Amino acid sequence: MNKITQSRLLQITAVFLFLQTLIITLSPAVRARTWDVDYRLTQWIALGLWGLFVARAHYDITRKLPDADPYLFPAAALISGWGLLTIWRLDPNFGARQALWFGVSSSVLIAGTRLASIDFLRRYKYILLTCGTFLVALTLIFGTNPSGGGPRLWLGYSDFYLQPSEPLKLLLIAFLSAYLADKLPSRLRTIHILYPTIILSGIVILLLVVQRDLGTASIFTALYAIIIYLATGRKRILFISLFLLALVGVAGYSFVGIVHARVASWLNPWDDPSGSSYQIIQSLIAIANGGIIGRGPGLGSPGFIPVAISDFIYAAIAEETGLFGTLGLLAIIGVIITRGLRAALRAPDLFRRILAAGITAYFGFQTILIVGGNLRLLPLTGVTLPFVSYGGSSLLTSFVALLILLNISNHLDIDPAPLPKPQPYLLLGLFLFAGLFASALANGWWSVVRGPDLLTRSDNQRRMIEERYVSRGLLLDSTNSIINNNNGEIGTYSRNYKYVDLAPVTGYTDPLYGQAGLEASLDDYLRGVKGNPTGSLLWSNLLYGTNPEGLHVRLSIDLYLQNRTDEMMVGSRGAVVLLNAKSGEILVMSSHPTFNPNHLAESGAKFLTDPNKPLINRATLGQYPTGSTIMEPFVQALTGNSSANETFMVNVYKAFGFYQTPQIQLPTAPALSEDDIAIMRVSPLQMALASTVFSNHGLIPAPRIAMAVNTPSEGWISLPALGMPIEALQAPAADEAASSYLVENQTYWQHIGHAQEDRSSFTWFIGGTSPNWQATPLVIVVLLEEDDLRLAQRIGQELLVDAMNP
Amino acid sequence: MTALLVLILRVALAIALYAFLWRIFLTLWQDLKQQGEFLSSQKKPGIHIHAVMENGKDIQHRFIQSEVTIGRDPNCDFPVMDEAISAHHVRISYHHTQWWLEDLNSTNGTFIGKSQVTVPTVLITSDQFRCGGTSFTILVDLVDAKLLN
Repeated sequence: MNKITQSRLLQITAVFLFLQTLIITLSPAVRARTWDVDYRLTQWIALGLWGLFVARAHYDITRKLPDADPYLFPAAALISGWGLLTIWRLDPNFGARQALWFGVSSSVLIAGTRLASIDFLRRYKYILLTCGTFLVALTLIFGTNPSGGGPRLWLGYSDFYLQPSEPLKLLLIAFLSAYLADKLPSRLRTIHILYPTIILSGIVILLLVVQRDLGTASIFTALYAIIIYLATGRKRILFISLFLLALVGVAGYSFVGIVHARVASWLNPWDDPSGSSYQIIQSLIAIANGGIIGRGPGLGSPGFIPVAISDFIYAAIAEETGLFGTLGLLAIIGVIITRGLRAALRAPDLFRRILAAGITAYFGFQTILIVGGNLRLLPLTGVTLPFVSYGGSSLLTSFVALLILLNISNHLDIDPAPLPKPQPYLLLGLFLFAGLFASALANGWWSVVRGPDLLTRSDNQRRMIEERYVSRGLLLDSTNSIINNNNGEIGTYSRNYKYVDLAPVTGYTDPLYGQAGLEASLDDYLRGVKGNPTGSLLWSNLLYGTNPEGLHVRLSIDLYLQNRTDEMMVGSRGAVVLLNAKSGEILVMSSHPTFNPNHLAESGAKFLTDPNKPLINRATLGQYPTGSTIMEPFVQALTGNSSANETFMVNVYKAFGFYQTPQIQLPTAPALSEDDIAIMRVSPLQMALASTVFSNHGLIPAPRIAMAVNTPSEGWISLPALGMPIEALQAPAADEAASSYLVENQTYWQHIGHAQEDRSSFTWFIGGTSPNWQATPLVIVVLLEEDDLRLAQRIGQELLVDAMNP
Repeated sequence: MTALLVLILRVALAIALYAFLWRIFLTLWQDLKQQGEFLSSQKKPGIHIHAVMENGKDIQHRFIQSEVTIGRDPNCDFPVMDEAISAHHVRISYHHTQWWLEDLNSTNGTFIGKSQVTVPTVLITSDQFRCGGTSFTILVDLVDAKLLN
């Protein structure tokens, strides 16, 4: 019966791991969306090895331990195979090592099934514990770390490393069970029995604290308390240990740097996302990216989580198999806990009972500690996830512990030892299940409730991956000429900025420097999040884990005029805005000096620190003093005179919308308020909008730059203006004011102004078509950060004439 | 196409994972059910006791409880008004799937045939024993077929 159950479960496990291996093999094809790729094949070695060893272990367990629990081995085989494939998928080198360790561990299990009894553990308890402690003590002197830096917890010989604190856990459990089983029935006072265990365990824990292996030290403390409680059934011990743990925790928080850092980054992870809480936030983002169904094995990006193969393997699994996968994983660990406790309760003697319960507590407690750490349920401790995480010592220890459980459960024919109090065992089970349940809830919280928020964080590097695989929408000018497009092909896409001088306006999208300008504000369309039908969005996310192809956006920019402007602005600092005075469409927006976003990777830091601030879009973000002269036409339009006192100027600024921030798909400097009259500053865009009154009969249109988006279902859809038009003046007043600034023999008006602040000079030029102009009404603003009236006038006039005669 | 195939495989993967858990659940449930059926089928067979006293008077009773005491005391499950029987003479009890006969330190002893009962002795149907001047015949109900399995 047991044999059939175990073999059925192992068959399902084999199917599960086969499918996983197959999906990992095919994953490059899904990413590249073609069959013509290099498939990942090496992980089949891992599956083959797994199959070989598991088949042999199954054969031996069913023959040598026929009555052993039939659920324990398949559960362990499933999660260790799962871990092995996940590690291999993350890093084939570590995967190969783990496969080797899996072979070693299962060989030990296979050999161990020949052991008739585990009584030798009881007999040689002192020797075993001393050896284990000695090995850990050796790491104080000879300890190394395979990865170079970090705590030196390993003993190494050439390429082979052992972490002695892993087997020591098992040895301590065995020692305590043997010792307590020997001494407890002697009816001495409990405290006399406990002295030696307190001293021994204290030494072990102290050793680990000195070594800074705090996660393991806390596991030891907890295991010690749990085992004593199980054996004696005294609740007082539990409370005292809890109190001591809390005390040690507070002391550690106050005096030990690493504990403080861990707890601080646990309580406030969002304060320092790139420093001390980098790991936990990357872990949470990975879990959020997994969502409910996961990205599929080989299809997520768990490589972004630091130490994903060991400490954060749970997060890696969560990303690729989603909440579905991790709930299954937690349930399987729950099965191991249940069956372990059952083996404990049915054990034939006290030694075996405490041993089995101790091992179960070790599996459960360590799982909760690291899974909770991954989910920000508990502070992070660098312990392994039993059976799953990378690490030879941990895997070997887990398999030996499994062997002991199998051996203990193989005593159905003997009546269980009498059990005076079942509560401690039930309480232990309850506690472990509560931990698993809390982990499941926290997992749901991060992957479902908080998931969408987490994924939009700027430190989610998965967006960068997605940009490489999904083509970003194009930015086009008003005649559909390309401004920005993409280089490369699927898998190597990168943004190409064809019209470089527009960079301060269109901005950039870069894995390192993030996004700016229109690339940032139109990101949802360009990435395909907005504008695509919900169905295709969901389907694409389900299939590929990415959004569908990005949508093209058409701008109001006229590349011909823009080019003319930029030619004339070379060498100057300033901004030019040319807009359609009626519709508000921005035909030219130029900010100089500019930068080449194609060189962002090499020169980004230089751009950022350049005193000329090339990254700033001066046309919308620059705030320049108006001075008195440039405001003359506005004052005249409002009052009929060309001068006004300061208090009246407030009315002027108000009337022409200077106190309103322009609403447009670009970052704009917030407009000043009426209280700031002494230092009135406006952006060139604000000035251009206000100037439209003279060419558009007193009406200020809402500005527009992003005109339309090309959706797959409905073709080009126009994007509405974000702001509202303003009725600034009555048409006659506006037209009359314009007429007094008309240029002789020309059909346009103009005005030049000069402003001074501190030791900087600024030149303003405003101009526009006359109110009688029959074709498109236009307005231009030129601002130069220098005192050069002639240059400003030349640029303004030439452009205006060009624009009026297309 | 690639993605569709892999999506199907991913669904199969999730099904395999939960099939594993379902299988565990199913076997555990069957285990539980079997245990329940076993325990409920383990109804102890009733016992029929037929006593014939020296004066030829006979009494018979059928019991379904698992313990029957016989003695002169009227509080006994099977009181027998025989001077040679002690107040609590003998106990017949069901455990370890058998009916057992146990002498309760009676004055005159209990006998099966010629031999005195000193240790608990298994009774099977149509066994006879004697206390004082009364002889008892036991009829055990037929055991449920399920138990025999």
